[in-house]
Amino acid sequence: MAPRNKKSLKVCRACHHVVEGESCMTCGSTNLSEDWAGYLYIVDPKNSEIAKKMNIDMPGRYALKVR
Amino acid sequence: MTEESVRNRVYAIKTTAKQERTVVDNIIKALEDHDEINVVAVMAPDELKGYVLVESPDPIARIEQLREMVPNARSVVKGETSFHEVEHFLEPKPVVSGIDEGTIVELIAGPFKGEKAIVKRVDTSKEEITVELYESMVPIPITVRGDNVRVIDKMPEE
Repeated sequence: MAPRNKKSLKVCRACHHVVEGESCMTCGSTNLSEDWAGYLYIVDPKNSEIAKKMNIDMPGRYALKVR
Repeated sequence: MTEESVRNRVYAIKTTAKQERTVVDNIIKALEDHDEINVVAVMAPDELKGYVLVESPDPIARIEQLREMVPNARSVVKGETSFHEVEHFLEPKPVVSGIDEGTIVELIAGPFKGEKAIVKRVDTSKEEITVELYESMVPIPITVRGDNVRVIDKMPEE
């Protein structure tokens, strides 16, 4: 069985960024949550309508919903 | 026409069950080596099991080419959708939205899995509901997460 390390990924409650460490790289917040749903990868925020709708201006991994 | 006005299309790629997140990561990995494929965003909403959605200005043949490079990506769904059709995935509704006091629900996870219960209280902000088991002799309130229940019946008219 593959290790279930995906489960341990955390999401910043402020900017919905998926982070691997203990604090958010973009906003510096330590308010992280392990309980999230929906995965979103923004490659090109300038040309993406999804990014515009989510108010995302940085490429990277995001969660659609954070609890 | 400016470059801004290029319409992005949204394609759906069928994936192996429960591999949606892996497929998203693999698509990103595949894109790094293939500059000719232009993808601006990839998403895997929780509500849409077995599919990932790819936002791209490219025609479907490019997405098909991308799909071939990604393990666990089964096929590209023929046809394209507009952004407006997937917009609702971006702002998920609270999971307790269809549940009111008096609703009969079935617990689908946890130690009381399979038990029927009646909803006594709904906490919208925490997305939690408090239920009492149908078949228990004494009423014991149990608080569970909103997504751990399935609605069986709305409150009967009395």
